[in-house]
This record gives sequence, C-alpha cells and structure tokens, in this order.
Amino acid sequence: MSEQLIIQLIVSGLGMGFIFALIAIGLTLIYGVMNVVNFAHGEFLMLGMYASYLAYATWGADPLVTLPFVAAAMFLFGLMVYYLLIRKVLTGSMQSQIFATFGLMVFLQALAQFFMGADYFAVQNSYLSGVITLGGVILPVPQVAALVGSSLATLVLYGLVFRTGVGRQLRAASQDAQAASTLGINASGMYALAWGIGSACVGVAASLLSNFYYVFPRVGAIFVLLAYVAVALGGFGSIHGALVAGLLIGLLQVASGFFISSELKFVPVYMLYLIVVLLRPRGLFGKM
Amino acid sequence: MSRKRFRMPKLGYASAIAIAMVGLAFGPASAADPVKVGALYPLSGQVAKSGEDTLNGIRLAIDIVNNRHADLKMPFAAGEGLPGLGGAKIELIAADHQGSPEIGAAEAERLIVQRKVAALIGAFHSSVAATSSQVAERMGTPYISGESEASTLTERGYKWFFRTTPSSRTQARDFFTFLRDINKSQNAGVKTIAVVHENTLWGQEFQKSVEGYFKEFSEFKPAIMVGYQQGTADVTSEVQKLIAAKPDVVFHASYDAEAILFARTYKQFNFNPRAVLAIGAAFGSSAFRDALGPDANYFFVREHWSRDLASRNPLVGQVGKMYRDRYGKDMDGTPARAFTAMMVLADALNRAGSTEPEKIRAALAATKIAPSDMIMPWEGVAFDKTGQNTLTRGIFVQTLDGVPKMTWPADQAAAKLVFPRPAWR
Amino acid sequence: MPSRVTSPAGLAALLLLLAVLIALPLLIGERPFELRMATVILLFAIMGQGWNVLGGYAGQVSIGHGLYFGLGAYTAVLLAVRLDLSPWIGLLAGTLFPAFCAVLVGIPCFRLRGHYFVIATLVVAESVFQIFTVWEWVGSAVGIEMPVKSEGWANFQFHRDKTPYYYIALAMLVLVTAGKWWLHRSRLGFILRAIRDEEEAVRSLGFSPQFYKSVAMAISGGILGAAGVFHAQYVLFVDPFSVLGLHISVLVALFAIMGGVGTLAGPILGAAILVPMSEYSRVYLSGSGRNVDLLIYGALIMLIAVYRPDGLMGLWQRVNPFRRQSVPVRKG
Repeated sequence: MSEQLIIQLIVSGLGMGFIFALIAIGLTLIYGVMNVVNFAHGEFLMLGMYASYLAYATWGADPLVTLPFVAAAMFLFGLMVYYLLIRKVLTGSMQSQIFATFGLMVFLQALAQFFMGADYFAVQNSYLSGVITLGGVILPVPQVAALVGSSLATLVLYGLVFRTGVGRQLRAASQDAQAASTLGINASGMYALAWGIGSACVGVAASLLSNFYYVFPRVGAIFVLLAYVAVALGGFGSIHGALVAGLLIGLLQVASGFFISSELKFVPVYMLYLIVVLLRPRGLFGKM
Repeated sequence: MSRKRFRMPKLGYASAIAIAMVGLAFGPASAADPVKVGALYPLSGQVAKSGEDTLNGIRLAIDIVNNRHADLKMPFAAGEGLPGLGGAKIELIAADHQGSPEIGAAEAERLIVQRKVAALIGAFHSSVAATSSQVAERMGTPYISGESEASTLTERGYKWFFRTTPSSRTQARDFFTFLRDINKSQNAGVKTIAVVHENTLWGQEFQKSVEGYFKEFSEFKPAIMVGYQQGTADVTSEVQKLIAAKPDVVFHASYDAEAILFARTYKQFNFNPRAVLAIGAAFGSSAFRDALGPDANYFFVREHWSRDLASRNPLVGQVGKMYRDRYGKDMDGTPARAFTAMMVLADALNRAGSTEPEKIRAALAATKIAPSDMIMPWEGVAFDKTGQNTLTRGIFVQTLDGVPKMTWPADQAAAKLVFPRPAWR
Repeated sequence: MPSRVTSPAGLAALLLLLAVLIALPLLIGERPFELRMATVILLFAIMGQGWNVLGGYAGQVSIGHGLYFGLGAYTAVLLAVRLDLSPWIGLLAGTLFPAFCAVLVGIPCFRLRGHYFVIATLVVAESVFQIFTVWEWVGSAVGIEMPVKSEGWANFQFHRDKTPYYYIALAMLVLVTAGKWWLHRSRLGFILRAIRDEEEAVRSLGFSPQFYKSVAMAISGGILGAAGVFHAQYVLFVDPFSVLGLHISVLVALFAIMGGVGTLAGPILGAAILVPMSEYSRVYLSGSGRNVDLLIYGALIMLIAVYRPDGLMGLWQRVNPFRRQSVPVRKG
C-alpha cells in the first residue's frame, strides 16, 4: 500500500464528499428554517442538470457560464414550489408534508421522462474537465470546482444567515413563526426565501455536476439518498453539519469500496449514521 | 372470434399447398383460422422503449410470414401465412408485464386461459421469463425466448421452454475464444483478466460464468473481480482497485449509466488496460458515443448482431431496412434476436401442421434451420435436450472513429480491429 | 378517547363490505387480471394495516417496512427449498422471524425522533437489500424459485385457479383488521396513541414507551412478514429487488398514509383506490413509454396531500353520518 495511493483515495473521497455536501446544504437549509424535508430534492438536482445540459446543447454554453442563470432559475422554481404546494401543507402533519414532496418527486421524474425520454445526456469538453496532477496524485477538475463551490456556498449561507438583517428574520421565523409575525416579520416570505435559496444551492450543485456526470430522469436518486443521510448525520438544519457529514460520507464510501467491498460500499456509510445517531440522537451538529 | 382450435389431420405438404391455393381462390373469407401467439414484453415503465423495439422485431417477423414479400429470399416470405396450416396467418397478442415477475406469470396465464394462445414468446427480463415459463410448463404451452439470457432458464430441465439466444454463460465463453484468437493472430500475450460487473442478476451471472472458464482456458489468470452497486454516484474506489491489480484486459458487464461513468473515470486516472471487452450494448450505444465523443473509441462489445453482417448476408440488409422503414430506427441485436425467435416459432408451427401443443413442442424440438435462412451470424438453430440453441456464435464490435464496426471473427470483419487500445489522450 | 370504534350502522356497513368481498371472485368470473388485482389490493391492505400499527398508532413513520415483507418472503422460500417444510410452518416462521427482527431494529431506532427515525428505517432496509443482492446463500441477485408442488391447501399452491389465493388473502385481512379493531379498543392501543401524542406524559406515568413501541414494531413487522410469505407462495419466486426494494417500503407507507393514518379502514381504502388507479393507468396510458401514468399519479398524490391531509378516510368521514372512527394526527 503506497502512500500515494492512500493520498489519492483521500483526495478522491473528499472530492465526492464536497459534491454530496453541496447537495445536502440546500436540503438542510430548508429543513432548518421550516422543519420540512424535501423528498423531491433529487429531482431539483435533475432539473438543474437538464437546464445546464440544454443550454449547452442549444447554445453551446458551458455549464460554468450558465451556472448563475441555472442557480437563479432554480431559485425561482423553489419559490414557485413553495407558493403552489408547500405553503398549503405547512399546517398538516409530517406525513402529509412527506407525501406532498414525494408526489412532487414522482411528478417531476415523469415530467422529465415525458419531455426528454429515458436517454442519457452529457456535456462534452466543458471548461471544468480534465485533471490536475500533483506529485502523482490526480485531482479531477470538476471535483476541485465542487470543493470551491461548496466551501463558498457554506460561507455565503453563513454570512447570509448570521450576518444580515434578512438572516435574522430567517432565524426568527425558524424559531417561532408566530412570535416573528408579531414582530412584523413575514414568516411565509422567509419560508419562501429558504426554498429559493435551498433550490439555488442545488442548482449550483447541478451545474458543477453536469461537468462530469450525465443527466437522465432518475439521476436525482443516485445522489440524493446519500444527501439525506448526510443531512441527518450532520444534524437536520445544520449547514456546517451537512458539509462535514458530506465529506465523511465521501471519504468512507471510497475507503470501504477499496478496502472492504465495492458492492457493499454504502453499507458502512449507513452503519456510520446509525452509530452516530445512537450516540447523538440529533446527529453530529443538530440542535438538541 | 372462434375459440375452436384449428385441427388438421396429418396431410402432406402438397395437400397443404393445395388447401392454401383453394383458400386463395375463394378469397380471404375462407382462409384458415389464425394461429394466436402471445408475446410478453415490458411495454411500460423504465424499459418500455427497449420492450417496444423488441416487440417490433416480432411484429416484423409476423408481417413477413403473413404477407407476400417476393424479393426477400427467406422462408415464408414468398407466400402468405403458414402453408403447413393451410395458409393460416399468425395473430400477435402482446401483453405488458412491466418488468415484474409476478405480473409476467399472471399475464402468461391470462393469455393461455383467456386468449387461448398456441404458444408464448418473451420476455426480455430473465426474471419474468423464469416465472412466465413456469406457468407455460405447468399448462403445457410451448414457450420460446429470443433474448432472455440467464443461464438458469434452460438449466431447469423444462419440457416446454426453448431458447434461441445464447445464455450469458455461452456469451462469456466468447470472450475467452476472442482473446485466445487474438493471442494467436496478433501475438498479443494477454494473460491477466479483470472483471467489472454490476450487481444484479445479469452482472453476477456474467462474473460467475467467466470465473468458471479459467479452468478451460488455463493460459489466462483472473486479476481481480470488481462488483459494484447499480446506480452508484462514484466509481473511484473501483477504478483504484483495478489500477492496483494491473490487468491486461478488462471484461465489463455494465448498463448505460455506469458505462459512461467508468469510461470517464478510466480516463481521469489514466487507466490503460490493453483492451476493454464488454457484454451488453452499453459500451457501444449511441448514448455512450454521444457522451464521450472520441473517448468512446476502441471499446469492444460482444454483440449478437451487426448491420455489417449485410456484406455477407443480403437478408441482413433487407430485413434491417424493412425494420428502419417501419419503425423509424435502426435494428439492433435485441430486436434481431426476437425476430429470429419468432421465425423459428413460425417454422415449428408450420412443420407441426397443427396448433396442438404437443405437436408444436415436438416440431420445436426437431428444429433445424440453416444459417443462410436467417439474419443472425449463427451456424443455425437446433435445440439440445434442455431447449437451448447450440449453434449460436458471438461477434465483437469495436467503435472506430465514432462508428461501431464488426471486427471479429476476422472472416466476417468489416474493419481491422485495434489491439491494444492506444493510451488516453 | 372513546374506545367504541363503530356504530351499529358502521358495523352493518362493514359486514356488507365483507359480503361483497366474499362474493367478488364470483362477480369477476374467469378474468385473471381482475382477480390478480383484487388479490394485490388485499395484500397491500394487509401491509398497510401492519404499517399503521406502528405508523398510525405509535406515530413512528417508517420507510423501511419493505424489509419485513422481504424477510417473510425469504423465510418462506428458504424453509421450503432448504428444509422442505410445509408452507404453513413457513407462514408461522415468516411471521415470527420478521417480528423478531423488527424488535431488534427497533431497539436502536426508537431512541430517535421524527426524521432521524425515518432515515434510520430507510438505511437499515437499504443495507439489508444490498447485502441480500450479494449473499450467495440466499440466492444473491439471481433470486430463488419456490419448488412447484401439486396444488392444494396442504402445499399453499394453486395453479390453474387462483381464487383460493384471494380467499387466503381475504382471511388474512379480516384477521388483521379484527386484531386492529381489538387493538384500537385495548389498553395497549390507548397507550400507543398516547405515546404518539404525548410520549413524555406516558413516561411520567411509569410506562416505558420503548417497550410499547417494541410491541407495536413486533406486531407491525409480523403482519408485513405474513404478507411476504403470502407473496412468496403466490409468485413462487423471490429476488431482492421484487421483495426488498425501496419501492415496496415507500408504497406501503404511501397507501396507508393516503388512506388515512391511524384509522381502521384507511389502509384498505388506500389500497382499494390506489392499486387500481396505478394498474389501469399503466395499462391504458403508458404504452408509449412516456410515463403519463406516473405524471398523473404524482399529481394526484400532491392533490391529496394538499386537500385531504388526513387521507381518503377524511373524505369518507365528511360524508359519513356515523361516528368518527379516528383520532386526528398531531403535527410532527
């Protein structure tokens, strides 16, 4: 076992981890503000990837160039989903919220298949393709971009939530919507904002992902199951929790895939979740 | 529609023709009752498109049997219907099993009991073929499969099950024959083999079959077996394992999605085996070629069928063109095999001269079809005791300059194969 | 809460429904498709009832219940293949073993609340699914076929006429529903509902929520296991995808919740409406391979979630002149 190989595994694991983290951050933000898990989050990712791909196929626009537009479009899409669907189930039980977003998941998947078919599409030769080699260790450029992207996203979100007036209102709405309303804060507007920002985050993830991953109607399921585990492992609602958990999962799946069994590489990830929540029932950084 | 089974005493071929002629003379009204064939395919859900393509192969075969195609030098093309059954036409009753073994069994039962089909054809998914042929076996209805590949299907000792396509075990053997031939003709010196396979029935069976052949082909040694969960987001650890094992060649059993992912990751980590040989069409599919551009070149795919066969066999070109004209897309290995299975069934129905199940079964068992009468690169069709066609042969297709070309066996090749593959650029 | 579940009129309606269900195969006649669908509805209704014991009464939302269904199916097939035991012993074992496993899973998971519990049930089921796809002894991804035997009650196999399967499923559903009716009235049911609503209060009264949740989990897992055995006897084939796949877990929860959480007839209603909806839309709308059926299905789920958050039973209760049958579910 050479040192170089171990470094390579760590680097590759972290690279994937940043991608899981980026997807998970949007999810955990929405949960943190309003206690709703978006089970259609993977389909948001899928829509973002189709947007990226279609821009590339139609105008030859690179995913990096269209990233801000995809993020903005996803922001609007998030607002739309909030006003048309989520707002109406807010007073319902956890079950009805799960199934509203579950129905949305089925619907969006079917919609994608209706318009795009079941085929696989991929962007070729984007700006962010190829590899950087550092002392024999290979760093795929898209994963380096994911590293930059998710670190930035975390910083920006922290800045937004903890350093701005809007952030104060967001936090107020998340802690006690009724009390916030009496202070003149529009709680529903804050919820909508959370959906917009959460969706924009997944739009950024989609743009970065489309540099090296293909898009098809069920692509969301591939990433989102691990993103859910990342959110729960990090603690529902915790942004840095999602980041740390995403990285842990990325590392663990590469390590278990290499050293234990590639067929069962996600089982240790699942076990890690169970062990962590047994010791800390609110995940690594969840609010107690 | 008459529920009465068409029964005909054992008349000679000539009298059958005579009856058919009489039938023609008096117009279609007095033609023999059609023979019903039930087809079980996935026509909804994820694989609906492939199911539909496959069923189109069967539809085309039935069209050739039922209608006159004077310019096609193929059995049943010149006349209308099955002469052995007094010119009876074949009526196709398609059923959608949605890829579910349970629904497949229920639909098989419905076709046999309610629609009174004379025989069943199907079923794309091996798991569905397993349960639906179980129903056919119990009810004594002939069942033919042109594309369900699981080796276990013909290992159950069923009396009523016949399969024209090679099993996945036979297909695995072609990989070794190919390498042995390359070692001889190109002096390639290939020794170690890695197997990368997805984790469902298909991939697992391929891996086990390959392992089984190392004894017979003792010049080769296994380097590493890498299984992976279908729908994985990342294959870094898998590729790192391969790099560490340094195999000469890699055998691949992957579906479209992971084929793209693996190829990209191989390039990322500059993994350069001397060849990658794949089972299934993924590494040569149009999605794969579109996604990877020039990087899609040099992968070998073990295929059942290729349009390049047309240079040797004019039927391939003619049937391929009919398929494209009718259904608006190119024929590939799966519809070609389904087409062939249907032609084999038509031949058996014709020789049985009856829709009595036992007679059809006996006729199927006695099948003997010459290579010149079909569109497959096989040595013919003849079934062994288990109902497996023993005369199949595989071909290897390699993508060169963005186009899949048939490159092996050399005597039928449309282009010269490139071995070893050049390093990634 | 009042423990009387049904008024005399409700009881009469229930008996009428039962009579219709008993007569149904005669009405269907020789149509395997419809008979199969009726059987599948009963099967999902049984599973929904099982899910509801844990999800509806004890308030623990699981999206990993396919695990117990799969374990039941595998138990039945393995006992038949390896030991050649009677399928009725298989039914017993296929009920008890999943129930036992459910308790084992519950021990760590019941410490978790809300979404942490949901994700935990999901990862446990996913792990077992993945292990089964590579585990040779249980047939790995290839699956195992149940040995075909001569038909009859002793072998729990019916080949030519599937009507007996329908009646077995119906009997199972009646049994499970009667059991749930009893549970609803019993002290156990009361404590479970109390746990759902005010877990801390129950603890302060000296009851162990963990113990009662485990009991609910065992009952729930056992019912799912029995349904799995039935499925194995009916299809005579198991493989990881068809009995342990995530879609089963999701469908069971979906049917029970859309029928009406914590109600007696909700899961039956959910299955009776949603199974035909998905079957017929697939038969008539999906031939193009464009998934129009799923488009409609997804939209309907959203509509129900928005307009009938208490499920289809809520709709029934609005037009039902009789007594309320359920306790509304609290948020969270």
